[in-house]
Amino acid sequence: MVVTVVVRSRSMDSSGEDLRDHIIELLPRLRRFARSLARNAQDADDLVQITAERALAHAAQLRPDHSVAGWLFGILRNAWIDEGRSRRRRGLLLEPEDLAERVADPAAGADQELLCLQSALSQLPEEQRLAVALVLVEGFSYKEAAAIMGIPVGTLTSRLGRAREALQSLLSETPGAPS
Amino acid sequence: MTFTDDVLMAYADDELDTPTRAAVEAAMATDPEIGRRIAQHQALRGRIHSAFDKVLLEPVPARLLQAVRSEAPPHGGNNIVPLRMRGARRPAWPQWTAIAASLIVGVIAGRLVLAPSGTGPIVMRTGQVMASGTLADALSDQLAAHQAAAGPVSIGVSFRSKSGEYCRTFAWRQTSAMAGLACRAADGWRVRVVDGTQSAAAASGSYRQAASPMPPAVIAAVGALIAGEPLDAQAESAARARHWRP
Repeated sequence: MVVTVVVRSRSMDSSGEDLRDHIIELLPRLRRFARSLARNAQDADDLVQITAERALAHAAQLRPDHSVAGWLFGILRNAWIDEGRSRRRRGLLLEPEDLAERVADPAAGADQELLCLQSALSQLPEEQRLAVALVLVEGFSYKEAAAIMGIPVGTLTSRLGRAREALQSLLSETPGAPS
Repeated sequence: MTFTDDVLMAYADDELDTPTRAAVEAAMATDPEIGRRIAQHQALRGRIHSAFDKVLLEPVPARLLQAVRSEAPPHGGNNIVPLRMRGARRPAWPQWTAIAASLIVGVIAGRLVLAPSGTGPIVMRTGQVMASGTLADALSDQLAAHQAAAGPVSIGVSFRSKSGEYCRTFAWRQTSAMAGLACRAADGWRVRVVDGTQSAAAASGSYRQAASPMPPAVIAAVGALIAGEPLDAQAESAARARHWRP
């Protein structure tokens, strides 16, 4: 009995370290994913930080058969949805002028193409935006993306289809659009 | 044979099984419209992917690495919202230090920045919270060793952060007193922490006499960011001469 406990606690320690390594490895991708959801880089990195902290605090929920990446992206998705709700509750702030200022400030050397896509994405409903972020930005398969969002593949597909249709029309008059 | 747009999209995303894929390709040979629609889906996918791919090339901020490596991950990380940090339920020191680097300013800045004037000492620029006007000038020019006791800005400590940039603490003693920490970036002084609470207001009055003049949030942020020791007068002056470039 004692032996069992010791062995289990050791394996949890080592998986805790593995988890940290996994998260560090995935930080660039988590940042990219967050950037396709949040309004600015700062907010995006806040989401990534919340994700890392929640993952470490709830490491026990990660089962061996889980994909660490899928689990982490799912945590980030939940954090983003929570954050959106609480932002709406607080009635805040900063959103409209945020993007407008960035677009209006050429001195920023900001990546206009990225801003343009972020602005188009921000006009999609939450769930469509997630579908685009997971499949088109992150390159998850439909099956993986559906699992992360906790929905059937058919639902994912139809959200993705509607999102693409909306994006095509939002982007059709902007420079860089495919002819 | 006709296909729904979802099937053509799935073709573009390489999600079809082999028989359906073959059927789409056969239909493409006779109907150029199918190929055009698939190409459209692929172009959008490529455009989005390559735009966001650039994020992968950015250096990962130190605070994120720190959050992963910190020994005692704070439980309830979902509480990391600036307004909460200012409330009574303050985490114990180690967690506080670990997350201090992130306790920015979005909401605090919202309060300061969105004041009707819009020309205060702290402004929002390109999604960043930046020092502006008198405050920015003082951060660039004022040396802690030579500053007027009654000036609008009092500079506290200057130091190099772990990511190499120069950071300085400040107290602002105008109508809205506050204290904070700003770090020098290519586009100016980025405000990392601002505390406009009473302790900050008090600090601004007796900034250099008090034993612990800076608000805890600012002290904690210094502790989280600093690499080595604060700059002495000579190093501070040299850093100013280099325009605070690392």
